[in-house]
Amino acid sequence: MARLIRTEKEVEGRFEEVWIVVEEDPLEQWPEGPLAVVGRPAARQDGPLRVRGEARYTADLKLLGMLHAAVLRSPHAHARAQRIDLGPAFELPGVRAAIGPGEAHGLEEEAGFAGAAVAAVAADTFAQARAGVEAIEVEWEELEVVLDPDDAVKRGLLTDLEPRRYERGDIERALAEADVVVEATYRTQTVLHNSLETHQAVCEWQGDVLHVYISTQYIWGIRQAVADTLGLPEDKVRVVCEFMGGGFGSKNSPDEYTYIAAELAKRTGRPVRCALTRREEHTSAGNRNATIQRLRAGARSDGTIVALDGEFTNSVGWSGWNASTEGPMRMLYDCENVRTVTYGAQLNTPPMKAFRAPGFVEGTFGLECLVDEVAARLDVDPLELRRRNYANSNEGTPFSSKNLEDCYRRAEPHWERRHEVRASSDATWKRGVGMASQIWYGGGGPPSYAWVRLGSDGRATVITAMQDIGTGTRTAMAQIAAEELGLPLEHVDVVLGDSARGPYASISAGSSTLPSMGPAVRAAAADAREQVEDIAEQRGLAKGTPLEEIVGVLEESQILGKGARGPNPTGMSVLTFGVHVVEVAVDVETGEIVVERVAAIHDVGRIVNPLGASSQVEGGVIQGIGHTLSEQRLLDPETGRILTTSLDAYRMPTIADVPEIICEFVDRPDEHLTNLGSKGLGEPPIVPIAAAIANAVRDATGADVHELPISREEMLRALEAAKQKEKRGAPAAV
Amino acid sequence: MELLRPSSVAEIDGGVFVHGGTEVVPLLREGLLEAERLVDVRGIVPRGVRDGVIGAGTTLAELEAEPGIPDALREASRLGASPQLRNMGSLGGNLLQETRCWYWRLGYDCRLHGGDRCHAREGEHREHAIFANGFCASAHPSDVAAALVALGALLRTNRREFPVEELYRLPDEGNRSTTTLEDGELLLEVELPQVQASTYLKAMDRKRWAFPQVGVAAARHADGSTRIALAGVAPIPWRIDGIDALDSVTPLPRTEWKVPLARALVHRALSALG
Amino acid sequence: MSELRLTVNGGEHVLDAPVGTSLAHVLREELGLTGTKIACNEGHCGACTVQVDGVPRLSCITLAHAIDGEVTTIEGLRDHPLVDAFVRADAVQCGFCTPGQVVSAAALVAANPQPTQEEIRHAMAGNICRCGTYPKIEEAILSWQD
Repeated sequence: MARLIRTEKEVEGRFEEVWIVVEEDPLEQWPEGPLAVVGRPAARQDGPLRVRGEARYTADLKLLGMLHAAVLRSPHAHARAQRIDLGPAFELPGVRAAIGPGEAHGLEEEAGFAGAAVAAVAADTFAQARAGVEAIEVEWEELEVVLDPDDAVKRGLLTDLEPRRYERGDIERALAEADVVVEATYRTQTVLHNSLETHQAVCEWQGDVLHVYISTQYIWGIRQAVADTLGLPEDKVRVVCEFMGGGFGSKNSPDEYTYIAAELAKRTGRPVRCALTRREEHTSAGNRNATIQRLRAGARSDGTIVALDGEFTNSVGWSGWNASTEGPMRMLYDCENVRTVTYGAQLNTPPMKAFRAPGFVEGTFGLECLVDEVAARLDVDPLELRRRNYANSNEGTPFSSKNLEDCYRRAEPHWERRHEVRASSDATWKRGVGMASQIWYGGGGPPSYAWVRLGSDGRATVITAMQDIGTGTRTAMAQIAAEELGLPLEHVDVVLGDSARGPYASISAGSSTLPSMGPAVRAAAADAREQVEDIAEQRGLAKGTPLEEIVGVLEESQILGKGARGPNPTGMSVLTFGVHVVEVAVDVETGEIVVERVAAIHDVGRIVNPLGASSQVEGGVIQGIGHTLSEQRLLDPETGRILTTSLDAYRMPTIADVPEIICEFVDRPDEHLTNLGSKGLGEPPIVPIAAAIANAVRDATGADVHELPISREEMLRALEAAKQKEKRGAPAAV
Repeated sequence: MELLRPSSVAEIDGGVFVHGGTEVVPLLREGLLEAERLVDVRGIVPRGVRDGVIGAGTTLAELEAEPGIPDALREASRLGASPQLRNMGSLGGNLLQETRCWYWRLGYDCRLHGGDRCHAREGEHREHAIFANGFCASAHPSDVAAALVALGALLRTNRREFPVEELYRLPDEGNRSTTTLEDGELLLEVELPQVQASTYLKAMDRKRWAFPQVGVAAARHADGSTRIALAGVAPIPWRIDGIDALDSVTPLPRTEWKVPLARALVHRALSALG
Repeated sequence: MSELRLTVNGGEHVLDAPVGTSLAHVLREELGLTGTKIACNEGHCGACTVQVDGVPRLSCITLAHAIDGEVTTIEGLRDHPLVDAFVRADAVQCGFCTPGQVVSAAALVAANPQPTQEEIRHAMAGNICRCGTYPKIEEAILSWQD
């Protein structure tokens, strides 16, 4: 019987309530530990295709008659295009169409940042389209440029109308009564996703149906947004994404390039590709916003944190949302008195976009460094301090599962190494160990659906209209179906990537892919399995008869199973936990920091594919190292234009920058969460790494770093400050 | 645009020289360089090492693997760029590469582009120069150039022979170029004197594939003298007489940090020489 | 336009393309060999790596008209044992950088069949992976002959 239920769903820390239809009976979770297929390492099903270069990305798509679009973007950080003459573009060879502000969603007359899209041209080749764009005449009226976030806050220029405030307990009294109060300001920089496949879409109209081939993290979200914006019924929009080259949160929505391609395709009657160049990827594809965090912590001498107070300023940009930088401060520790205020500063800079645990990466850096400063002041071991302030509920709401204490226990041998590591320091290279805890979301939610199709050959095909953004979704889904059906993994195929071919699938963001789609696949496989069992009974076959034999008589008939993601547990917080223990070496004369070893211990419920899971952890750690040490988007302070527009200036880690990474999982199913008990792992590994590195730097050198990236400039400054402090007689933190 | 491939110097008749193309091709694409005619000089410029004479067409990868060359040059080659770029890029091209200053690379109308401002001085300059930065604050990115200056290399073109330092000049009001090559002049060979010892130390913000924040080349010559040259600290490779030269730096507010870094590396380079 | 002769993966091709066209563009658009990816188009990431006479180069900044030698792309390496090694080691996530990684790795092991970790890091530093697959790539290259 179908039931209609209202349930709460969270993505990237933002909550909403949704209606879902639940049809099937709840399945019992599998027991803990590796099963026949689930919980065992599995090579990626689509691995050979990707490795051989045979996987077709949106960037590889070539349709007959396809045109190329180029975009005119504002050179000014704030300006209005008063007069635009597209005429000159049409004079140039190969130009087939040109559109201006208002003619496609995302083309605006008022440019709120340098790089904002204003007009676009479609031509036979990209070079011709670019020439067309350069020929467009624009008269700009330059407007006031606001770049400084504190200035914006003072003037009330916020992207939400109000700052977000939170308070529990009595913060002022708690601070006054604390034995020790630590105060510090932390700053984090603007970081760019820089996925290797740039943002792009190819749009083609076939009659009144729009086909959108797009590099995306959310096929169904694109479908809905495009249909909504263009005033089409959703069934008249088909979205395809079989392989995509990275997103990390930046590809959750259609954005201007999709609408530009759709409109130009309509006008020309030909398919149109609109692809960002790498330069545009640096200016107009989103970012993790910079933050300023003014924090205070009060503690008793026994190590109890009694007060946490933070003022967070997010440099959101021209538009975007106010990420929850204060989340860790609110949620990680059992502290009775907490107050936070978070400002989303509206600036004439490119809008932020979700980037792998938005807000929490930045906020964990500030909080976990502050906590270590408290530990230093109280002369309490940092691991011990975290244990003393362990939260057993989320502000009163029980956790669906929390095994952070297990993570801490597993961290002990890594943490023990600190004596040996410190002792290996010499006059130039100082070595130390630091740690940081992680809290984040990862429960996913409904809706998500899957179908399982079984033929007389005993092979199963899982059909979803899901995307696989590189996390190994195809393989995990195959494992789940194989486990439920009792089939070997090689007998299960997964078909995904096309909204015309499969039911609704969730976004691949917010660490929600596995916890959202996994249970739906299991339910679909279970539905098919039950039908197979019915057939076996009718045929009088003994229990244990292999599936192939049972269905062997079917010939052209098929068994079709369907499944849906059920509701989330009510009255519980579904969160993920972890801890990183990092060893660094710092050259105290040159400020060079080398991350030598990272132990990453995560609690994300049941691990479906330990091989793929370890890759997620390594990837998150390495991306986090980039954030911590070398990546930075820089602006020209005078004009507000981005200066770091290419990958030689915006430097991400190479293979030479990789430390030893030890990856451990608690791997205990969340018994309250779905028929699978798995949470998402995409984001947790990037959350604590910056703080763990900064804390290790302090352990090694006594120097407090308060800014990301920890450039040579920042490291040398911190070393000098520590030296001065020591001269004045105050001991540097140990 | 046409692409010619002459087989002798005599055949050259104008055009922009290209060898490995790692600098010229991106500059053309960005509109920072214009050319009607490209002249592929790989048939003309010598390549390879023979008796202390290095063909300017020798790639950085070849220098990295070459046993007979001084340590400073080998290290500078080894630590430059990426493996692919070292396979493509020539020694000559590397000496002639343009600054990485973001304002220059984005086509701002700065002094090097013939304009009347140095945007970096007034704006974002944290990767820029600590010496000779009054007119233009750009930093010279070539590791190999610093190594050759410290090694006292001699350059041979199709017209002249001169010490490598004379390849470079500070830009000024009358002439914005940082090199002294004339139109149609082609680097052919580099000749190295024998040195007793040499080294190159490079500070970067990731372990590989980054331009020098500070690079220090040092060589002890046969006569006992020591030559030191720095990359990343001035608009051209910067020769200093000794570590005391760092007392007369003129850093910008956000290039101050390069001074202690340079000091540490110069000290280490000199210690490495023994 | 100007005539262009290329040998790619053992096959001869004669084409017309304007001078200034990159090898990457010719491979992808003219020859349909889309395994070679363009991620930055200016020589800063390594995704477009191909071999010319076995030597890794960046095809996005290589002039198609100035190639001396035989081009090998990822398509020409599809049966190389490294492919299997990459798959087994899970040395692929989004996969966009992977063909370039394999091309560089193939050149490395051709010259040095048992590279050390140091040698691998030095030879592979010109192939950026935003997903951070590096540890598995290293493992794949260490174990390619297994």
